[in-house]
Amino acid sequence: MVLSGWESVFFWVFALAALVAGMLTVMARNAVHSALFLISALVSVAALFVLLGAEFIAGVQILVYVGGVMVLFLFVIMLVNVSAEERGREELFNPPAQTTAAVCFAALIVFGFFYAINKSAGQFARTEERPAALRTARGGQLPPSATGVAAISEDTQRVGSSLYRYGALPFEIASVLLLVAIVGSVLLARTPKQELSADDIDPEVVEELSAAGELTPAEIEAAAHAAEV
Amino acid sequence: MNSLYAPALLLLQDSVFDNMRQGVAHPDLSKFLIIGALLFSIGVAGVLTRRNIIVIFMSVELILNAANLNFIAFSRYLQEQGSVNAVAGQVFTVFIIVVAAAEAAIGLGLVIALYRNRETIFVDKIDLLKW
Repeated sequence: MVLSGWESVFFWVFALAALVAGMLTVMARNAVHSALFLISALVSVAALFVLLGAEFIAGVQILVYVGGVMVLFLFVIMLVNVSAEERGREELFNPPAQTTAAVCFAALIVFGFFYAINKSAGQFARTEERPAALRTARGGQLPPSATGVAAISEDTQRVGSSLYRYGALPFEIASVLLLVAIVGSVLLARTPKQELSADDIDPEVVEELSAAGELTPAEIEAAAHAAEV
Repeated sequence: MNSLYAPALLLLQDSVFDNMRQGVAHPDLSKFLIIGALLFSIGVAGVLTRRNIIVIFMSVELILNAANLNFIAFSRYLQEQGSVNAVAGQVFTVFIIVVAAAEAAIGLGLVIALYRNRETIFVDKIDLLKW
């Protein structure tokens, strides 16, 4: 697998963009900025997926991560108010000793990975240098793209048939997992008032909260009445 | 297409840099793996150093994405080696994305419940179980 020509330019641009955006995600003071940098890192990685001929995964990455997960993150960031951190009154990182230890650990991981990659470097080298996109098309049966530079790959079709043939059981398990996640997050994010009205709260907690003035007697009465009905 | 790199090539004429120039002009599988390793380490450093639990979750997403990049790169490599089930890596990546979405939903639900109870999202302030 060797890239050449514009493909390698594309690779370096998006690889460096992903790394820089990843660094800024970790270092940004404002959590909203962090989320936006993470979005650009994810988009850059999606571009690398396109370069690797995985157009379907790139689309899923953009739709699910950027369109779904990151919007959820932004919602929660704006729900919990973290303005103290933005204004610089709160410490951004853990105490220096912990931070140093963590960075050393991360550096160790990098060196380990580099060593492993170096060890196996020669095994991945191939001499042919045709543009990678041309190689995906099998024997010219597939139509060329509009620009004529590359051929449309059969990637998505193969992923789909592989997913439904060999990965059918994991696919079903994943759908059940998503269902559990939906129910679980709804349960977790309820307020005491909502828990009370669903009659799913410990009586001691009700006493504590009413002592603290967070639940009024009228609300408790209404919930008890609703539970009877 | 070589003229594209003309300025960079002039700097790297020396034969000592020949290997490196080849590596930069023709990235192969190992470059993708290195980018994946770096993204992973950035994510690990974020998880271990930040105090804001939401940023920690974002770093976890970064780690998962680094794993995805490795899977896709190896899948591409196997495709060119003529492997029978070469798209297995891409199928696995779909599942990783599903699990990441579920993890984000549950984790952010926990963050909201935590904030409601403790009024903080800094991990070192959440020390109820600390002896």
